[in-house]
Order: sequence, then C-alpha cells, then structure tokens
Amino acid sequence: MAQLKVGDFSLDLDEDGFIQQPEKWDKNVALALAETEGVNELSEKHWKLVNYLREYYQKFGVAPMIRKVCKDTNMKLNEIYELFPSGPAKGACKVAGLPKPTGCV
Amino acid sequence: MIKNPSIRDLARGEGPVTELNVKDQEPLPPPYDKLDEEPPMAALSSSAKERFVNLDNTIAVNIPKPKTKAEEERLVKGFLSGMQKLFNAGDNWTFLQPLVLSMEHCARCQTCSESCHIYAESGHNPLYRPNYRSEIFRRLYFKHIKKEGTWARGDMELNWEAVARLIELAYRCNLCRRCAQTCPIGVDNGMMAREIRKLASQELGIRPKELHDDGSMLQQKVGSSTGMSSIVVKDNMDFIDEEMTEKTGLTLKTPWDVEGADVLLMHNAGEILAWPENPGAFGILLEAAGVSWTLSSDLAAYDSINYGAFYDDVQLARTLILHIQAAKKLKVKKILIGECGHAHKAMTVIADRILTGDLNIPRESWLPFMVDIVRQGRIKFDKSRNDFPVTLHDPCNITRLMGISEPQREIMRAVVPEERFREMTPHGVNNYCCGGGSGFAIIGGHNFPDWRFRGPGRRKFRQILNAFQGEKMDKEHPKYVCAPCSNCKGQIRDMLKYYDAWEKAGINYGGLVELMVNAMPEAKPGFIDWEWH
Repeated sequence: MAQLKVGDFSLDLDEDGFIQQPEKWDKNVALALAETEGVNELSEKHWKLVNYLREYYQKFGVAPMIRKVCKDTNMKLNEIYELFPSGPAKGACKVAGLPKPTGCV
Repeated sequence: MIKNPSIRDLARGEGPVTELNVKDQEPLPPPYDKLDEEPPMAALSSSAKERFVNLDNTIAVNIPKPKTKAEEERLVKGFLSGMQKLFNAGDNWTFLQPLVLSMEHCARCQTCSESCHIYAESGHNPLYRPNYRSEIFRRLYFKHIKKEGTWARGDMELNWEAVARLIELAYRCNLCRRCAQTCPIGVDNGMMAREIRKLASQELGIRPKELHDDGSMLQQKVGSSTGMSSIVVKDNMDFIDEEMTEKTGLTLKTPWDVEGADVLLMHNAGEILAWPENPGAFGILLEAAGVSWTLSSDLAAYDSINYGAFYDDVQLARTLILHIQAAKKLKVKKILIGECGHAHKAMTVIADRILTGDLNIPRESWLPFMVDIVRQGRIKFDKSRNDFPVTLHDPCNITRLMGISEPQREIMRAVVPEERFREMTPHGVNNYCCGGGSGFAIIGGHNFPDWRFRGPGRRKFRQILNAFQGEKMDKEHPKYVCAPCSNCKGQIRDMLKYYDAWEKAGINYGGLVELMVNAMPEAKPGFIDWEWH
C-alpha cells in the first residue's frame, strides 16, 4: 500500500491517493496531499475551499454537492479547476482528507 | 505477451495473457481520425502488477496473488463448489434454466463475436470475444460438473491462475447482452459473465470494492451508495428545490414521505449529488403535469441503485426488499423508476421473478409513464428552445432488455425540432452499450478508466462522432448527447473529458428530462447550462 510521508509519521493511501484515515488529517497532511496533486503551495483561496469541504464532511460524513460548494464558497467550477487541476472531487476533496467518492457520481 | 490468445492460455503461468493494444485499433471519425494523436492509455503500475492477478495489464477486481499453496487451493476448491451451486435448482432457481440452456446448446458458430463492441474495438483481440469466457466456463462445466469426456467438449486446465483470470475476465464484459440478441439460438454470454461474477462474490467473497463495500453494503447501512444519509439527502434536495425555483421561475418543493401518493419516484442518488438538474427537472415536470408523487426518506428508498444486479443475487434481493418495503409503508400505487438503467433491470425484470404476494407492487419505468403525459398535452413545450443538434443514447437495460425504444423518441419529437435530431447507427434495441455498463462507470482503480474509454466506450464515442458528422465540430456549435441513465451519463461524461470533446468538438451530454424542461415556455429559458460540464 502506498504511503504519504508527513514529517515523522506516514499515512496509508488508497490506489488513487486518498488517505484511509480521515481523522488523522491536519494542515500538514493537506500540504503533503496537495503536493501529490502537483499543487505546491496553498493560497488563502485554496484553504477557503479545503476548510469548507472539511467542515461539511465532519458535519455530514459525505462530500457536498459540487453546486453547493460553488455557491457557498462563491467560486466558479473553472476556478476550482484552476486551484486543483484534477477537480473538486479528485483534487480538492482529496487534499481536504475526504475519502474517495462512492456510488454513481 | 500473446497477441491472439487461445482458450488454454488462460491457465498459463504468471503474467498478463494479452493486452488491449491501441495500435491495433481502428481510427475514429474526424476530428479524432489520427490514431497517434489520441490521448495515451496509462500503463498499469509495477506495484499493482506485483500485488494483483494480471489478466491484460489492467485491473478491475484487485484479486491478490495467492501467497501460499493453501490460498491457491482455496481459489480452485471454492470455484468448483460455487460452480456446483450454480447448477443446483435449490441454490440458483432464478437463473438455472437460461444458464443450462446456454451451456448445453452453444454451437460455437461465433456469430456473437462481431456483435460485441469490446471485441470489435479492441482490434479483434480474442480475449474479449463473448464466447472466449463462456467456452472456458463451458469446458469446466462438462469436465467437472457433468463429468463428460473432454474428447467431445474440449479440455481446459483448472488451476488458480485460470480461476483468478476468469473472474477478472468476467469484468471485461458490460453485460449489455447484445451477443445474446445476436445469437441465432439465444445463448446468453452476458448472463454467463454475470454468473461467474456471482460465483466469485457469493462463494469466494471476490468482487470490486466499488460495487460491494462502497456500493451495496454502504447503501444497506447508510441508505445510499453515495454515503448520503436521509438527513443529507433531504438537505441536498432542499438546495435543489431552491436552485430550480430560481432557475426556472417555477416553484418547486419536493414532497417527502407523502402517504397515499400515486407515485413513489426513485432516483439514482448519484443524480442528486452529481447532476442536480435531473431530479430538479423530474420535479418540475411532475408538478406541471399535476401528478401526485413523493420521494421516500427510508433506508435505501431514496437511492434506486441496486449494484447486486451487476454481481450478486443475495445483495440484489436485500436491496430490492428495502425498496419495496418503503413503497408498501407509504401505500403508494406504484414505484416510478427515474433515469437509471440498472435500477430498471433490478426492480422490474429481475424483481418479477423474486417478488411474490403482497411484495409484488406495481413498478414502472418513467418513460412510458411520461409519454402518456406528453400525449395528453399536460405539459406545454416549445421545441425551438432546443435549437441544437441532439443525438440519443439508448441505455441497454431500458431499451434492449425491456424493449422501451419508442417512448423516448416520441418525447424527443415533442421537445426537439425534427431537423435537429440525429439517430445513432445502430440504435433502439440494436444499440451499443456506452462502455460503462455493469458497474464499469464507477470502477476506477489503476488504469481501468483508460481501458474502458479505449475499449468498451470507443464504439459509443465513434457512434456519437458519426451522428454529428456534417455539423461544425467546435464549441461555438454546441451539440447534446442525450443519455437517460446515470451510469451511461457518468461514462459519457468521463469519456468526453478523456477526449477533451467539449473543447475540441463542442460535444456535451445530459439526460432527457433536462431537454424537456429546457423546452417549457413557462420556465425561464436556458435550463441547459452549456458551460457546466
């Protein structure tokens, strides 16, 4: 199983690079995950999106609808793709420490 | 690596038997007519090759390589005991008859080969012939179950490699059953692929995690394979109501848990998360037509998916019972199935063999239901609002399996100008699968998505491009692929992205209800949002 090194500990990743233990997520994990996505720095806008996803996930146990993300963060879909080139689910949610989306989505 | 593997090569030692070679493929129509300019197909990583059974340099199931002799034997013994059960009426009464007929009567004429989109688009790699898989299973059946001499039926070695690869190979078929339709005597190779999947799941516990752990198990535990609990789904539908009301100017308030409603509508919950216009448009249409309808917030009742239809009869029955119980509790007249192909298969055709007595409540596809509403003129449409080229994809589980072909076309004629509609060739019950069928659209590990775009999906992409030939292939001239099924939509979305088809050719996609609402003169114009894809 692939590993993500964060400082002096490491986390298990699934085959698509999502962390397996969402409860171990913190800001340093986010930075390390962002690097795997080719995003080397997280701007204020990145954090706004990541924190929104994180809070929603902690409240509801699932990722939010993309439409809702756009409305609540006041970002357009293409802006999200500019921040995270693999998109809201495979990029932004991964960095926010959410598990991979499931079902017909 | 072998280019033309024989039947017996499946039992050969380590390594892949063969692979999909993109250099063997036929070029697509313009603007994708240069084979070497197509996006590359990702390679399977070396760590995956080390850990998992490798059939053809892609992986759907993730079967770990056995580490001990005992693990090897478990595969072979489990396969044999599972096979025994498949041919026992007590264990497999639902599918025994078509299975036995397909075993005993295949004349090996191979007429089915060319009907298969995966075989044809692979550059005719024999591994992907419908009857390659079936013939192996058939030889093992005659040898080990019927104990007949191999001189008449052909021999096949049974070792762990053959078992593991046969299971993986059962996930190289979309279960579209075009081969069964083509067979002069009705041998059903698609069903046989599913029987192998069923054996692997029910006897050996081997199946893709997307279908089982993250699919049917999650649905039965939380309420939906998307992970949405009833609280989350209601919150999301509230959001959709607000968005749709704002977008159309027509007030939408989705009714929940209305006892005695005529119709309990069941959506594939993926629509709610990923394509909110779809459940939104359903609501707008049902309200406009004055239908008495409701959604249910009971466990699994707000998600029509039933992944058991792809791999496991027990899981299928468990989910089906949850769906039916919710309908009984609300005392509705019928369940109406939205734009989800495999939910049609699970809840109507297969359910007809399972539901007895008072469980057998009426279930109907939304298409014949809606075409009645359209005929009665209960919703006004202005076709000129859909003034762009439209082609129609027929979902296999709705059209080939159930014969529902004309209702979607009649609706199309009511909402799209005649000169704008382009049929695919072939279409209707002779359609080709989108390439995402049988769960492929959500099986996403390793390089499997690339394999499903380059292999199974390629015929559909070819058909889409052919349907739009003669149009200007750029994004200033938007074109719409109508695919009224969540699984098909997911596959077409991902495949259009793989080929960058919006930027390069102006091709977008969506469902049928969206086209209907887009043509409603009472609604604000612009329901279809071309920029959102």
